[in-house]
Amino acid sequence: MTAAFGQPARSVLACGEVRTCLLPSHQAMDGRAAAQLLRLRADEHVRVSERPSMYALSPEVLTGVDCRLPASNGSKVRAVGTVAARASLTEGRLLQSTAFFSLPASGPDMRRPWGQYLVRPGLVEPFGKLPQQATAEGVLQGARRGELDLGMIAEGLLAELRRHPLLDRRVPFKSSPTRLRWVARRTSDGERASLVNFTLAEGGLRTMELRLPEHIPAASAAGICEDLALHDWLLTTVQHMLDNSRLGTADGPSVVETLQPVVVHLLHLWMPRAHVDPALGHLWDVLEEKPGFSRQWENLSRRIRDRLALQAVATPHQALSTR
Amino acid sequence: MTEAVFQETTAERRTQSVPLAHLSLELGHLYMEDFEAGPKRLAEHFAEVRIWVDAVRASAARRSRRPRISTCFLIDDYFTRFSTPAELVPMVLKEAEKAGLVIDYLARESACAVAERIELAESVMHRLVESPPPGSYGSRPSVSHSGWLANGQRTPSTSRSALGEVKGWAAPQETAARNHSIFMDVELWSEKDGKRLWSCPFLAAVWQLARLGLLRHLGEPVLLPAQWEGADFPQDWDRLPPLIRLTDTKAAFSAYRTCTLMPNRFLAVEDAVRLILDQIDVDAGALQQVAERSAGEGMPVPAAVAQRATYVFYEEPGDSSEAEGT
Repeated sequence: MTAAFGQPARSVLACGEVRTCLLPSHQAMDGRAAAQLLRLRADEHVRVSERPSMYALSPEVLTGVDCRLPASNGSKVRAVGTVAARASLTEGRLLQSTAFFSLPASGPDMRRPWGQYLVRPGLVEPFGKLPQQATAEGVLQGARRGELDLGMIAEGLLAELRRHPLLDRRVPFKSSPTRLRWVARRTSDGERASLVNFTLAEGGLRTMELRLPEHIPAASAAGICEDLALHDWLLTTVQHMLDNSRLGTADGPSVVETLQPVVVHLLHLWMPRAHVDPALGHLWDVLEEKPGFSRQWENLSRRIRDRLALQAVATPHQALSTR
Repeated sequence: MTEAVFQETTAERRTQSVPLAHLSLELGHLYMEDFEAGPKRLAEHFAEVRIWVDAVRASAARRSRRPRISTCFLIDDYFTRFSTPAELVPMVLKEAEKAGLVIDYLARESACAVAERIELAESVMHRLVESPPPGSYGSRPSVSHSGWLANGQRTPSTSRSALGEVKGWAAPQETAARNHSIFMDVELWSEKDGKRLWSCPFLAAVWQLARLGLLRHLGEPVLLPAQWEGADFPQDWDRLPPLIRLTDTKAAFSAYRTCTLMPNRFLAVEDAVRLILDQIDVDAGALQQVAERSAGEGMPVPAAVAQRATYVFYEEPGDSSEAEGT
């Protein structure tokens, strides 16, 4: 028996995918422009927050699905419902989109009238019993042909925003987008939320597994995943820039030229947990312990500042010697 | 949990609630021809409506001992403009009164398109989430391109294969079909001289959402009734507020459920309205408020929005086809 219509059905699993990229705009966007960019609906507010950092969050939009769920064991379970998608902009510079949905343990063996799915936004109901383990693994592995494709929905929203007339599509430096897939298993309310796994895979893919008490909305889980994805993108991007800049080699580009965009656009963006549900902020602790996200960031920032300081000291001598 | 000390109003999402009656009862719907035909025709309509009003009130009394019922009437000033409020409104009110009916709220149809400079129809259009046919795994079909909304999959457009032969016809398919399909495709708007003309079913869907207390703009209620005190109505439709309260009724304009009384020629229009309502992602805050309050009063609303609207289709009095001159 499933929950009465209109009542939030008890979900056993929440899944999502976050895409993170640099906003294709030469200048960082201010709050007003961000609100315009993320106004996915004319009649709903974009949430804009200025403390402790500028952050804008779009309303959620729904996509209807009726297809097989991803499954690691090849089981073919049809599911119907809506996937929620939203976008955010941090410090007018980093654009993210997330698609996510929740799944109850079981659903009816037939499709209901569509209006009944719409009153439970972000819920996808399986036909019959949900193979929880196989679905969770399947989502993390990524959808195969014909299976519910979170990446496609997240990418679709991101592509729509990238085409927005407010954007000049000129990036201040090159960078690669990242994808983070996550699943959250529901636990009883007595248990605290926890991070079970965070994996750095190849090709800009990260996967994450959480345990989430029933009373915490899936949107909050999406929030912490976006926060981790954003900081992981910062680490990845800055590390990559340092690795590839051939700094210190005689024929490499100038240190200032290479590091200037990092200083101007990225260094101030590091602010873990800034807009995360307080009930989930502690999930950062595990990652701070090992591998130490903030420790790595401090190290990277220090390297950049040291290089620039050295350059500043060296410049007058160079200027003199070239005369 | 303790409330956070620091708050930012722009970072919060709130939905203001609206007062709600038990039932919003619409007392008939007329075309311009009916008004043109004069008071006698109106009197016949209201006499017929009166019978069903009594039946609806009796039905409501079964749900609640003291049902809060508000009545409303919609005048079309969107598709055709006829006469003036000064001339028309008193005639409608007088004929309704003669039939023993009271109209609490009067609305203009153009208010469903734009009210107080808010583009209501446009906003509702952005809330359409199409029912996905089987096999939809994440692509988002966009109504906003075609302007049509269906209850299933259309017949594929005729195309020639590489060898030039025309493929055979394929049937359309209703997504929620029981054994056999009843496929329906509804035009939501048309464009003329670069201007968008909303279709009658689409505006009627907006009208239903307003009556069900489910419309908001940036979290605020829209289409709030203005109290009309004066006896004289303006000479121009645009000078009449979009929604006015004509009586001192305590029953709110919006309600948990709606009942619409109309001639049976509107059946197709209202079927299209249900098709649209079934694919609108209504403001979640408003939806929750209505669900909680109706449950609190022991009369929970059906979950699906389209199920909250009921109808009585009656036979038109007299021979209307004659009057229309066709």
